[in-house]
Amino acid sequence: MDRRRIPGPETSVSPIIGRSEGAKEIPVLDKDDKRHDGRKAEDIRPIFLKTGLITQANGSAYIELCETKIACAIYGPRQTKLPAFSGKGNLNCDFKFASFSCAKRRSNHRDPQEKEFSQLLYEALAPSLRLDLLPKSTIDVYVSVIQNDGTASCLAAAITCASMALTDAGIEMVDQVAACAASYINDEIFIDGDFFEEQRESGSIILSYMPSLNEITHIIQSGEVDVAVTSQAVELCIDVCSKIYSVMRHSLLESVKK
Amino acid sequence: MQTLISHSERDYILHGVESNLRADGRGRLDYRQVTFETGLISQCSGSARCRLGEGTDVLVGVKVEIGQIEVDGAEEVVNDKKAKRGRVVCNVECSPIASQQFAGRGAEDYNNELTQIMELIFNGPQAGIDLEKLCIVPGIWRDVIHYNIVVAHNRYHAEQVLDYAGNILDTIFLTTRAALYNTRVPKTIVQEVEGMMEIEVLDDVQEAERIVGWEQIPIAVTLNKIGSRHIIDATPLEELATEAKLLVSVNKQGKICGMQKSGEGSIEPSLLNEMIQTGRTIGQKIIEAFDVRLREEEVESLKSSSRGGGQINIQKLGFFAAT
Repeated sequence: MDRRRIPGPETSVSPIIGRSEGAKEIPVLDKDDKRHDGRKAEDIRPIFLKTGLITQANGSAYIELCETKIACAIYGPRQTKLPAFSGKGNLNCDFKFASFSCAKRRSNHRDPQEKEFSQLLYEALAPSLRLDLLPKSTIDVYVSVIQNDGTASCLAAAITCASMALTDAGIEMVDQVAACAASYINDEIFIDGDFFEEQRESGSIILSYMPSLNEITHIIQSGEVDVAVTSQAVELCIDVCSKIYSVMRHSLLESVKK
Repeated sequence: MQTLISHSERDYILHGVESNLRADGRGRLDYRQVTFETGLISQCSGSARCRLGEGTDVLVGVKVEIGQIEVDGAEEVVNDKKAKRGRVVCNVECSPIASQQFAGRGAEDYNNELTQIMELIFNGPQAGIDLEKLCIVPGIWRDVIHYNIVVAHNRYHAEQVLDYAGNILDTIFLTTRAALYNTRVPKTIVQEVEGMMEIEVLDDVQEAERIVGWEQIPIAVTLNKIGSRHIIDATPLEELATEAKLLVSVNKQGKICGMQKSGEGSIEPSLLNEMIQTGRTIGQKIIEAFDVRLREEEVESLKSSSRGGGQINIQKLGFFAAT
């Protein structure tokens, strides 16, 4: 608890946010096989991706997938402040949801989920970087979620965004990392699910992938899923990651042209 | 928290894995011996202790508590479902007595990581536990003030790692399964007195019930990618030589209940598929063998307690007891 803030009465209960009066259940797929926002099950939301928006950072990127908005800044490589020697560079990831980014207000302290996401971010990015070329140094990756529309897809977008920012910072890497999330609803796979779909999912998968090397840098899945469905989702996500990769490449070329 | 491994040691392990013969004589897909015991802690609703090989020792305590369900800002249709469910809270703690790795602040991150994986798998329908059965008073909807107060059994696991010889997560999951099998949920009586809900928890052990759906509780198999091969049940040295780890959680039906990669390396898609398949087959085999022993152990302890005229006089092995 934060003592500097005024707490509510001890017996208070958090209110319910969302639709209430005359609420009608919207199906996840309508009769034309379209989702509530008009996409097909295997479509992603349109991506806006731009590098170099934060002037003070060594590298930065901003990504937008409709309502999901994430900014990422890279500081470093700089000298490691820790006294211990390390032959490999230290990648320090910090994932933060802005307190206004979700339906419910998030604490301004780092909560366990943010700590977990920081760890996942590290595990997804580390295989792509040549950290062995940067002994005794640290690279700081700061990810700020400005608006969150689906937590799993938010993490995936953050990984993509951070990889772009690392490229913008000119850090040596073997390949860029593109990431993609999918929701399992009634044993069907919905790529890049938003908040609406995430509320109805029975499970989800987040996959990060290096397209030119054909290697998976990270995978996390939740929910009870058949092995066949999992394999199908992995394949689908890999395809989508290749698509996202082309967006990343395009955006990088644009940034160089200027 | 960083531990180092020399190049020659790494090479030795790599070649061993390549030729299907590991340092302790096992093949790539061989598991170490598992020793376990249930019902060791009287303060818990259920408990179990598990030892893997000569090392990793995990103690799991399950507490069944009454609590209120938090309903966060979700849509009503979704909240409606949530309001009828009990909740599972996991907490993993690696004791610094187990290994130098767990001393200081480094362990905090590691504990958090393990806890998050447990939550990933145990917080949802894939955990197999019938959460609706754990709910005592479901939420009353369309209240005037739009409040939703739900009283439910809150389940609380706490895992304590006492000794370390690699492959912590698999052991934690196995022990949790045993502890949940051992768990008895106390009966409750709900009375409405002057518009207020009153809940009485019965102390009677005979009345307590086993958790519904314990058979479906998943376990996990960690696959370690070393070179271009993968092994299960790695020792600490092998874990240091591991490029990437994949945790595959499976239930009795062989469905995947969760999956997470960790470590600094990457995995090719074809190998990933192979690893998932291996994890699934091995996981199912382990569950089968484990359940047989679970049942046997329970029968044994019941027998001895009836012989002693209600007094339990079975000799427990206790902590740190090896085979």
